[in-house]
Amino acid sequence: MECVVQGIIETQHVEALEILLQGLCGVHKERLRIHEICLKSGPNLGVVASEVRLLCDLEQPESTWTVRHIGGAMRGAGAEQISVLVRTMVESKVSKNALRLFYALGYKLDHELLRVGFTFHFQRGAQITVTVSSVNKMLKLHATDEAVPVTPGIQLVEVTAPASAENYSEVVAAVSSFCEYLAPLLHLSKPGISTGVVPTAAAAAASLMSDGGGTPL
Amino acid sequence: MTLKWVLHWQPNAGSTVNSQILSEVSQCVESINGVKEGRWRATLTFYKPHTREQSMAVDFPRDFLGISLPEQPNKYYFIIRGQRIVLEADSSIQTLMEKLQSYKTRVALHFDYQLGDFQLRVGKVVPTHSENLRGIVMEVEYLPISSVEKARQIMEEFLDIWQEAVSKRSLPGHFMHMEPNFAEYGLADHYTSQHTAVQYATVMAQLIATVQAVQSVRN
Repeated sequence: MECVVQGIIETQHVEALEILLQGLCGVHKERLRIHEICLKSGPNLGVVASEVRLLCDLEQPESTWTVRHIGGAMRGAGAEQISVLVRTMVESKVSKNALRLFYALGYKLDHELLRVGFTFHFQRGAQITVTVSSVNKMLKLHATDEAVPVTPGIQLVEVTAPASAENYSEVVAAVSSFCEYLAPLLHLSKPGISTGVVPTAAAAAASLMSDGGGTPL
Repeated sequence: MTLKWVLHWQPNAGSTVNSQILSEVSQCVESINGVKEGRWRATLTFYKPHTREQSMAVDFPRDFLGISLPEQPNKYYFIIRGQRIVLEADSSIQTLMEKLQSYKTRVALHFDYQLGDFQLRVGKVVPTHSENLRGIVMEVEYLPISSVEKARQIMEEFLDIWQEAVSKRSLPGHFMHMEPNFAEYGLADHYTSQHTAVQYATVMAQLIATVQAVQSVRN
């Protein structure tokens, strides 16, 4: 299981966001360059269609692969009241044959993306990961060197934290509380609920850039 | 990674495997200084495609196997033998496959190891929740060398000694080693658990072929 919120920020404000995150998290950013290959089951496979994502980490000297399945979101009145999405998620590291295996099992390429940016991993009431990245599409199959932004000038911010059925309320609280610190720069909400950029972003970014990140919030 | 040959018991035409053969083989290991170790279990699971209609299943691989090996408790191995694909994953991949619901698990088999010194393990092939003996396997592990090619001669010499010891008991069958072409699976000369997984899948295919041959003679 994981807790997730997402938001968007203009590329021009990403540097300010980085300064803010650096101050809040107390750790260094890690560069991110992930080739994400989304596969869907072919027409006759399974009673319902299924999706699986293969993630190739291109930042490592030798690419490492992970396979991930994102399941349904928690439903019900309780789920609707919380501002963080709680959903099932299973992932596994795999050796490099994963794409060949899933093609052989009857999965087809649905789409692929290249995410380029950075992440912060830290502990603050929960194991939180903040990812800031541009989402790029490839003009030719698997051509990660020739990727162009899907939304030029805009980057995606994702805050995720692993959770279990026993502790998800605490994790939701930790994520929500952390997101409040980012409010001047961006608004984070459940994936699928778009909120656009925040009107205070420019002013907040300017303030962060001039302070050099020295002002505690 | 320690090099291993996985052998299987090939019954003579017209005979089948039984627990008496297993007992004789175990005694044979003991007679060449085998020391009883604890139980040890490898599990092999067949994955069958889940399709709306049975006829659609032919479009998908029939030899998709999952293997867990005791030497790698946090890993799981997938093999599609017909396409020479082997994949090493975390154990969580089993949960992931369950969530996808595109393939269902059918018939798990256990390779139980009851006996052996640091080089030999003798095991029985039994379905889950059953004691029906379907086959006998052996692992011959040679610690000093990790290279498949470099170990070949020593392993063959050991195997000759072993075959001779077994043949003295006049059992209706013999052990066979069928070495898969590891290169076809993209595996290198340096031995890994993926090599072990591929050997088990090969043994499985042979056991199935033997059972089917016996059944066609009966029918």
